[in-house]
Amino acid sequence: MEDDDELPILTVVSSSARQLYLLLRCVNFSEKAHVQISDEGLKFSVDEASVMEGSAFLDKSLFTSYTYRSPPPQRSQHADSDEEDSEITTNPTFQISLPSLLETLQIFGLTDPNNSKPPWARDNLTSTAFSNNVLGMNNMCRISYSSFGAPLAVVLTEATIRTTCNLTTYEPAFADEIPFDRQSLAFKTIMRGTWLFDAISELGSTNPERLTLVARVARGKPYFALSASGPLGSARVEFNNNHNHNPVHSSRAAAPTAPSGTEPTDPPAPTNLLETFQLSTPDTPLRSSYKFALIQKAARAMSVATKVSIRADTQGVLSLQFMIEVESGKVSFVDFRFVPLVEDESETGEDGERMETILGDGEEGSGSGGGTEDEGEGEEM
Amino acid sequence: MRFKASIQNITTFTKLTASLNSLGPLAWVKLSDEQVCFTIIPEQGTQVWAVLSIDTIFETYTVQSAANNVINLEVPLTSLNRALKSALNATSAQIRLTKKDNLPLLALTIATTSSSNSYAAFPTTGANNEDGLNTLDASFGGGSRETIVTQEVPVRVLGPDTVAGLHEPQCREPDVHIILPPLMQLKSISDRFTKLALLGARSGTTASRTRLEVAANMHGCLRMSIKTDAMSISSVWTDLNNPELDPGQVAGGDIGIAEHPSTRMKQLGSADGRSEEGWATVRIDGRDWGKVMSVGRLGGRVIACFCHEHALILYVYLPNDNGDDESVLTRLAWRFFHLPISSYYDLHTNF
Repeated sequence: MEDDDELPILTVVSSSARQLYLLLRCVNFSEKAHVQISDEGLKFSVDEASVMEGSAFLDKSLFTSYTYRSPPPQRSQHADSDEEDSEITTNPTFQISLPSLLETLQIFGLTDPNNSKPPWARDNLTSTAFSNNVLGMNNMCRISYSSFGAPLAVVLTEATIRTTCNLTTYEPAFADEIPFDRQSLAFKTIMRGTWLFDAISELGSTNPERLTLVARVARGKPYFALSASGPLGSARVEFNNNHNHNPVHSSRAAAPTAPSGTEPTDPPAPTNLLETFQLSTPDTPLRSSYKFALIQKAARAMSVATKVSIRADTQGVLSLQFMIEVESGKVSFVDFRFVPLVEDESETGEDGERMETILGDGEEGSGSGGGTEDEGEGEEM
Repeated sequence: MRFKASIQNITTFTKLTASLNSLGPLAWVKLSDEQVCFTIIPEQGTQVWAVLSIDTIFETYTVQSAANNVINLEVPLTSLNRALKSALNATSAQIRLTKKDNLPLLALTIATTSSSNSYAAFPTTGANNEDGLNTLDASFGGGSRETIVTQEVPVRVLGPDTVAGLHEPQCREPDVHIILPPLMQLKSISDRFTKLALLGARSGTTASRTRLEVAANMHGCLRMSIKTDAMSISSVWTDLNNPELDPGQVAGGDIGIAEHPSTRMKQLGSADGRSEEGWATVRIDGRDWGKVMSVGRLGGRVIACFCHEHALILYVYLPNDNGDDESVLTRLAWRFFHLPISSYYDLHTNF
């Protein structure tokens, strides 16, 4: 083919396959991932039954070199197809097997048995001050995509081993993202990723079916809660900005960490639990439910993220945006979107009222007083 | 029929049986005046023909039988390995062939010195030189107590006619011979390859294919690759060593070397492993390969001989304790045969 002689569409070099691995692992919940190449970076998106999608964006600043040659429209005759120019000029999109890519990226991960030994005990005494691993140059990773339909080639180099992986590229299967309307946000809050992770893992212990997100302003103070319900009962984790820095686990009678660590003498401390709290309609509490199992798929991202921005639009679509620090100073973003479950009419009205109480609404400094279960809703198992 | 020996190198013997055990449950052990042979011939997969000089593991070795002083035994490796493990801290261990209730067995007599008194007197025993302590105990006389444990491994005695039909596979001269990188490193990468192949099989429609392709050239390159529907992946090692053939060992001497297939292969390919020429390739089942790689625990040097599209033979040499590098190669010739095709040629090559 004539295109074979052309320069490749994409050539990127990363000094650390591990970084890429850590980010892509966050969205590893499906066999195939869509890859979209653009001037800004590589976007890997994964979709689950069109009710959830996750995407990891590898910004070009993550790479030591990033060369993207946008395929010019006039070369579109490639691959025997007479598609219109308009379609060809868009950025290349294709699918690859994400588990395969991840497995490839960690092919050298901690494999070197020499690492655990002191230098004099190693098999090959070739290590010098300029050895690749001393310089931190191992795990060099080069990704290239030469032309439409070509495989995505990943080349990893470590010392004298070179691994080449050609990932078959498939036609993209879905085109539409889950629509999320940034212009009409119903709710937005930002907190630390690990707090959300702790909350979800705690709630996950009951194996619930649905996760309900509740946000409202109670007596001028923000209130945010995640409650999970399933056949074994329900549990709720509440976050508020009152006095304590830790999420209050209402389902545990005495939240173990809440009262001891912090003195309630300085309530408006800058280390608020919720960094931002915006509710478009402060008068009416926001409630929307999602399938718990789907939210759980974002757990990996929660556990490594420094911050998470939780947003819901007026349609109830939930967006979780994770800020992940891959190395000091450099941040990357991993996004998830979830389509809400249709609310059960009967449940909504009454349950909304019940939500009022648990935290004790701030008369008590410690917040641990909220532990008393009044509705019999909090049994954990 | 008599066999009796004291085990000189318990650690090596234990590691050896453990490695053999990962390839098959039963070993044919042939004891003779000159050498001890361990042979594993599994239903399918890799055969092992290990030849040990007697002093590699034994000393004060006696073997007597009506058939030219050769004894053939079928030994269950799991039991033997378990028995040897209990001998790891022994001061001495003896092995002999005996009978109990008319059933043959290998009796392993393990003597351990438990020196309870000295432990109290010298609490830092662990860090001390054990030999030093033992001599100390000996000089104290009653300070130590010897414990004797006997482990019995039931075996089957094989008649000469039973094993008469078993022969080491013969191969033609290899196209490529190369010293492999550390086996544990190879193993960790090949295990990932196998995993990748299974991933590919799950998403694709085809049956699971874990056929690793292993290739090497005469320019120090080793290549391992696997293909699935979703991907193809290959790792290339460069800067490995292709040992020189010894004219004294190759049939035909210098002329034999000049006509040797590997000499021809030297003309092809390149040292960076990017050329498509000059590779001798074999295909191996991924799991089988992983098992073979477990001999990495012996930490020996491994030379792989590739007969293109035909067979792979690994020669494993045990590391020598006294660091005499040249004698290493004569200590143990341990051959793994992987023969995808069941036709044999002559093999005279020795390194």
